[in-house]
Amino acid sequence: MANPGPASGLAITEHRLANGLRVVLSEDHLTPVTAVCLWYDVGSRHEVKGRTGLAHLFEHLMFQGSANVSNNGHFELVQGAGGSLNGTTSFERTNYFETMPAHQLELALWLEADRMGSLLAALDDTSMENQRDVVKNERRQRYDNVPYGTAFEKLTALSFPGEHPYHHTPIGSMADLDAATLEDARAFFRTYYAPNNAVLSIVGDLDPEQTIAWVEKYFGSIPDHDGKQPPRDGSLPETMDAEARELVLEDVPSRALMAAYRLPHDGTRQADAADLALTILGSGESSRLYNRLVRRDRTAVAAGFGLLRLAGAPSLGWLDVKAGAGATLEQIETAVDEELARFAAEGPTAEELERAQAQIEREWLDRLATVAGRADELCRYAVLFGDPKLVNEALPKVLDVTAEEVREVAAARLRPDNRAVLVYEPTPDDSTDDDSSENEEAAA
Amino acid sequence: MSDTPAQYTPAMDFHPQPQPGTPTPWAFPAPERLTLANGLTVLHCHRPGQQLVAVDMVLDAPLAAEPEGLDGVASILSRAISEGTDTLTAEEFAAELERAGATLDTHADHPALRVSLEVPASRLERGLTLLGDALRVPALPTEEIERLVANRLDEIVHEQANPSRRAAKALYAALFADDDRLSRPRAGSTDSVKRIDRDAVKAFYDAHLRPSTATAVVVGDLTGVDLAALLESTLGRWTGESVEPSVHGPVVADDTGRVVIVDRPGSVQTQLLIGRIGPDRHDPEWAAQVLGIYCLGGTLTSRLDRVLREEKGYTYGVRAFAQPLRSAADGSGRGLLAISGSVDTESTAPALEDTWTILRTLAAEGLTDAEREEAVQFLVGVAPLKYETAGSVAATLADQVEQYLPDTYQAEFYRQLAELDTDTAARAVIAAFPPDRLVTVLVGDASVIAEPVKALGIGDVTVIAN
Repeated sequence: MANPGPASGLAITEHRLANGLRVVLSEDHLTPVTAVCLWYDVGSRHEVKGRTGLAHLFEHLMFQGSANVSNNGHFELVQGAGGSLNGTTSFERTNYFETMPAHQLELALWLEADRMGSLLAALDDTSMENQRDVVKNERRQRYDNVPYGTAFEKLTALSFPGEHPYHHTPIGSMADLDAATLEDARAFFRTYYAPNNAVLSIVGDLDPEQTIAWVEKYFGSIPDHDGKQPPRDGSLPETMDAEARELVLEDVPSRALMAAYRLPHDGTRQADAADLALTILGSGESSRLYNRLVRRDRTAVAAGFGLLRLAGAPSLGWLDVKAGAGATLEQIETAVDEELARFAAEGPTAEELERAQAQIEREWLDRLATVAGRADELCRYAVLFGDPKLVNEALPKVLDVTAEEVREVAAARLRPDNRAVLVYEPTPDDSTDDDSSENEEAAA
Repeated sequence: MSDTPAQYTPAMDFHPQPQPGTPTPWAFPAPERLTLANGLTVLHCHRPGQQLVAVDMVLDAPLAAEPEGLDGVASILSRAISEGTDTLTAEEFAAELERAGATLDTHADHPALRVSLEVPASRLERGLTLLGDALRVPALPTEEIERLVANRLDEIVHEQANPSRRAAKALYAALFADDDRLSRPRAGSTDSVKRIDRDAVKAFYDAHLRPSTATAVVVGDLTGVDLAALLESTLGRWTGESVEPSVHGPVVADDTGRVVIVDRPGSVQTQLLIGRIGPDRHDPEWAAQVLGIYCLGGTLTSRLDRVLREEKGYTYGVRAFAQPLRSAADGSGRGLLAISGSVDTESTAPALEDTWTILRTLAAEGLTDAEREEAVQFLVGVAPLKYETAGSVAATLADQVEQYLPDTYQAEFYRQLAELDTDTAARAVIAAFPPDRLVTVLVGDASVIAEPVKALGIGDVTVIAN
């Protein structure tokens, strides 16, 4: 039953324990490594007012020990077994993962089960105070102390209205990080950390029967509960009714134009069409915006489009243009709008569509090249779309999208009245990067 | 500190920590070699299941070969080779590359100019043809080179504003003499980049890019590929007169203990970069040094983060590392040894004080057997994970070529690591980080941090403007 490789599709089996834990296995014996990935269906969208950043801070606490694991024991035991590990928090989920030499798989399962069932037996004020400081320094390092560092946060806030569950980003605010209490963390665990709110995927050099027996042994007795509240409603109209815009005066090295366009939800055919449109317009050195702004007009040093796929709210099409010396943002914005309007009218050429599909295929192969990448994708499809097997249809779906569908989504969505805009003008004083990652990591 | 965790009695069944199964033997892959008719050396390695094939080129165009006053010409050349050929414009070349689902990354560094192609196995021939044409007949168009020069000038401004880039620039300037190319930014400064034009780039290409001194490393699922024939018909079309390979000068640095503060008013954090130079991979102590440095600062349970992050909360993470700078076949090369991270502004002096305490304790007491054991288990055990992809294997093989190391180096390194004892690792890391021979660069708000740092007595403090 060995899997010959991602090109011919992953061999996937699914199981469910009596306590509701969903388990997904995919065998591949090419390398003696096994990835364990656990997605909890909780992210920053579940946070409440005054407690932004709690899901991510809590993720850090998951590495501070549980009933049978010492403070930092999780890191020590996994690395001491030759494994690598981490966790990340996004808007929609929190994931924890270990990649292990195959003969150490059982250890990773034991560790994950221990913290799923018994974290509160070890969680104390010392861990809480320490990790609060660590996370505040993570925020400073990644956002506050680098040029353009808070752009992601600002643009997200402009894109989603004030009470919307995606209005704030996973890192949270300094004030809310300061305000979080140990009791908040305990309540968060009791509400969201349960076997019936998680998917466990295990990929690589494994024996399926043995693996399921271990999962049953370690996770089977963890009680399920129905404490979880659904996230606040993230539904929004398909398009914004007017542009939202903010001017930022900061000590940044150059002018910049950034924008977020409201796009279809992840998992839809229209989201794949949007992905292709953004790739043609703004990914790589043959893209329309690169050719126009960087090569021909020479008004920009960098110009690109990225897709932030969201399932519980509209996705965002992320435009980032850094101006060249002497160029004005008016010139750049006019050129961007002209290119988007021309694309909306004409659609992609057959060659552009072929190129974009080839790029997305390579990115997909890249993600599936490691057992850890495959494990994460299986969890993603299971948690967000209910079926891990959808992973095998993801690429064929993108390759099936037509030029007219790409044009249609561009015409409907890539419009000035369907975006939030952030404009940076440099001042000689004070500073605050380019990192618009939606993930917060526990380490490194 | 009121609540005790004891009240949270878990309802699950516990089991003893499981013991490992039987490990599957794994070794770093051994490449095979061949030489094309044009003199190009090829290392290749079949990795079943790796559908993305990696082709890493090592080109003998070291930064030290750049003409006087033209720092950055190697970088501009590296960026210009993908800007069109004899038959394709810059835009067409980029489009063809993307149509093949390929990426082409280039980087000019002190030892060599590197070009990395990644392409799905199904489109390997198209990828190799484009790579071959870029090396064989790059158009190096004047207008694209003007643009790349202008972009580089803008990029310098962005680097200057980025704390970690700024710290690296200051450290290299402090460690190395002004006339050593190592002292100056790899991609050039504003003054040198302004002087670069098409003629300079073409002259550098003509002088240094030759198949006889180049190596291609090809790794991935090569099932059904007649590699020798495929390479002859692609990279094999690149010709050029045979030249003598470059000779690299010895690396020397001034590691007198001192502090350089790059003033960045208003910074909410201070970027730390504490460094000197030491052995490269030719040194018999290299594996011991890797092991010891991991114990000092390889992960968040290492000595530095155990205190600075997990006890004090001063930082998101501090790492110690060793990285070859420039190597030579005779072993006269050196690597950079450094500790790097960022701490909140107020914690700058306390974090440095703790760092020096950790280094002094290490020098006095060495490492423990438990630390050595965990580090060996991690470094050796993680290798099959680290080298799962074709790209990671190709990059390591290319590094070996660039550093004049035998093809069996990495496999031998893992065998050595597994056998090292605690004292050997301790001696190596103690020698690597002597507390009085470290150059400390701090990028942060001098008005807040300078006085407390002076009081630490870790060396004379100089403040420079950003």
